[in-house]
Amino acid sequence: MSDYILKYSRDERVKYISHLDFMRLFHRTIRRTGLNFVFSQGFNPHPIMTVAQPLSVGVTSDCEYMRVSFDCDLDADEIMSTINAALPPGYKILAAKKVHGKEIDLTKLDRAVYNVELEYEGSADVDALMAHDELIVPKKTKSGVKDSDIRPYIYSLEKTSDDGKTLTLTMCVAVGSAYNLKPQSVIDAMEKYIPNFRAGFMNVHRASMTCGGSEPL
Amino acid sequence: MITTRDKILSAVTKPTRYTGGELNSVIKDGSASFVRFGFCFADIYEIAMSHLGLKILYHTLNERSDTYCERVFAPWTDMEDEMKKHGMRLFALESGDEVTHFDLLGFTLQYELCYSTIVNMLNLAEIPVLAKDRDETYPIICGGGPCAYNAEPVADIFDFFMMGEGEDIIHEVVDEYVKWKKSGKKNKRDYLEAIAEIEGVYVPSFYDVEYNDDNTVKSVTPNNPHAKARVRKRIMSDFASAYTPETIIVPFGEVVHDRVMLEIMRGCLRGCRFCQAGYIYRPLRERKAERLLGIAENLLTCSGYDEISLSSLSTSDYGSLKELTDGLLKITEEKKIGLSLPSLRIDNFSLELMEKVQKVRKTGITFAPEAGTQRLRDVINKNITEDDVLKSADMLFRGGWTTVKLYFMIGLPSETMDDVRGIAELAQKVLDVYFAVPKEERAKNINITVSTSSFVPKPFTAFQWAAQDTRDMLIEKQDELKKSIQSKRIRYNWHDNKTSYLEGVFARGDRRLCPVIIKAAENGCKFDAWGEHFKFDTWMDTFKEMGVDPDFYTTRERGYDEVLPWDHIDVGVTKSFLMRENEKAKRAETTANCRQKCAGCGAASFGAGVCHE
Repeated sequence: MSDYILKYSRDERVKYISHLDFMRLFHRTIRRTGLNFVFSQGFNPHPIMTVAQPLSVGVTSDCEYMRVSFDCDLDADEIMSTINAALPPGYKILAAKKVHGKEIDLTKLDRAVYNVELEYEGSADVDALMAHDELIVPKKTKSGVKDSDIRPYIYSLEKTSDDGKTLTLTMCVAVGSAYNLKPQSVIDAMEKYIPNFRAGFMNVHRASMTCGGSEPL
Repeated sequence: MITTRDKILSAVTKPTRYTGGELNSVIKDGSASFVRFGFCFADIYEIAMSHLGLKILYHTLNERSDTYCERVFAPWTDMEDEMKKHGMRLFALESGDEVTHFDLLGFTLQYELCYSTIVNMLNLAEIPVLAKDRDETYPIICGGGPCAYNAEPVADIFDFFMMGEGEDIIHEVVDEYVKWKKSGKKNKRDYLEAIAEIEGVYVPSFYDVEYNDDNTVKSVTPNNPHAKARVRKRIMSDFASAYTPETIIVPFGEVVHDRVMLEIMRGCLRGCRFCQAGYIYRPLRERKAERLLGIAENLLTCSGYDEISLSSLSTSDYGSLKELTDGLLKITEEKKIGLSLPSLRIDNFSLELMEKVQKVRKTGITFAPEAGTQRLRDVINKNITEDDVLKSADMLFRGGWTTVKLYFMIGLPSETMDDVRGIAELAQKVLDVYFAVPKEERAKNINITVSTSSFVPKPFTAFQWAAQDTRDMLIEKQDELKKSIQSKRIRYNWHDNKTSYLEGVFARGDRRLCPVIIKAAENGCKFDAWGEHFKFDTWMDTFKEMGVDPDFYTTRERGYDEVLPWDHIDVGVTKSFLMRENEKAKRAETTANCRQKCAGCGAASFGAGVCHE
């Protein structure tokens, strides 16, 4: 039995798959490989597998992580190529590592970088937004929608292109169980704090996730 | 790049219904494919992807190098709204291309209540609904499946229908299409004349229908020398070795039958007199256990599914069930795969089998006595006795099961209130059996559910002449049944009789219903099988608006001398046999099953299966 950390991507073709559907998809993928999951003990055994930060529907990514246990002793490269051969087009394992204990702790992921492509009206002065001391927007929590100051959790926000109709942003924001900031909340703040700014449709791509400043893989 | 597609898909529920790209779906180069075929199912993805016929025909067509077969399903209403908002037409899942100028669109007609959705799909594709309004630039529109046997209500929409099993005939009509396209697609009529020669092809425009003054059909006459007087259905005589796909598509989202389906046999030998499937799929043919085990292993491996289900009309009648299930259990135990065994009669063998399969969870068991009294069960030739049910129930309760569903029909021919009350009495007896089992031998919390659906007479059954109960009669019977159920441990569910009524109109309908269906779709009817979308009042208003009396098709008993709208279709089972069965029903006489004694239904003429064992 071995534990592995897998880093994987999902592209345009499969970005509308929900987290639950991805879990089922991955279980089926493993069945196709002939690898065997390690199952939890108990009345209703389930495969031992944890996705670090479930991705929202519609978001693409180059930096998803999961921890999974297989009943085998294959090295990481073999695991990677075996799973890649069985995954449906659109998902790809980018890196794999055999791990022991908590040498990589995916629960400690704390920052994510997103590239956002956004249709808008008005003018988008991102620097002025970042000059605010606080940015209070309604945010969904377990106990309903509450106003929250998201400014401390935006570590950087940069405009990388702008043709007057569509702009692209790169943002580094908090991720994880302590505080999780979705790009939508940043866009909500732009609408609230930038005069005459109206956001339209957006595409989101998760470019990287780090813990303590470095990527796990 | 932000695309219109993104905007549409982000705005709808379950977007993976529309994205395609699932594992084992077939991607080809559309521009390099000589024939673009759209396999259409007039319902949403989850229903369509549960259909076994699609899986077979999709793959067999895609094995042709000249053909690209894609899936085309009905968008749910939120998707339809988005498509209209963005000027997007009905599209195929694999390529995303609009189907408006595909070569062929083939609809599978699984139930009558999909007709308005077919019209809606054609409207979304901006394809003229009536066959006569489509020139050679539009796709040829064809249909198949159980409702094709009497597709008269949609006859004016379709260019042709394929009768019976599709594995071979689909290639024959595509072959002819290739020839026609190569010759320049000059005249649609040329193509239809060529395929009218193929056994099983029915080109409705090649037949004139005349009516009597009393609105019954006077005659159906070919008006084209290529059209046969009677169209005979096709079967796979060598079903045992007939084509099965090497792979199956694995949906991203959950579908209704989300598992490997193993078709162990086709046809049924029971001869229940109400059951259309039991007659139209005759004769019964089986696949060998050895081949099935190979297919099962392969499909499980290529899909990664963790569940497999046997598919047939009556699993218990499969000849080598023990050999098959022993083999399957070996596979399923090793790979931790669930095995489901629908349509199984309860006896010692099946109970033992279920014990092996279920291990921990004891899910509910469904019985289908169909009728509440022995007399009425004899009328419908449902060869199951009260004793069978009670003995099985006793076995189940001793085995730890506590959830039992009893399934009945109301509105069967000759049914009286005694028969209706018989349903409640039978349910009570099942409950008594539970309490008769010593406490320490049974599990707690007995739960019995009685479900009734409303009987709809279908073409090509012994009851094809019968009057369907009016809605008032059905409501009266439902109320009587509600009153008769005494115990709080017995729950009663009933099926909405409005949908059964409409189903009854179409099932035995004729061509005069076509304008009504098109108009109803115009008036907003679609997804009639979905409670939240079924607009009964709109349907009734549309019948009135178009001057068609729906009761003519439902509550009227037909005489044997009446020309039925489907008499020019030959399913093998003869009309005289169905008359004999109907007469026996009136006398409450049963008919033995095909293995016990051949009843001479006519299906032996196919020279295959159980008739020649």
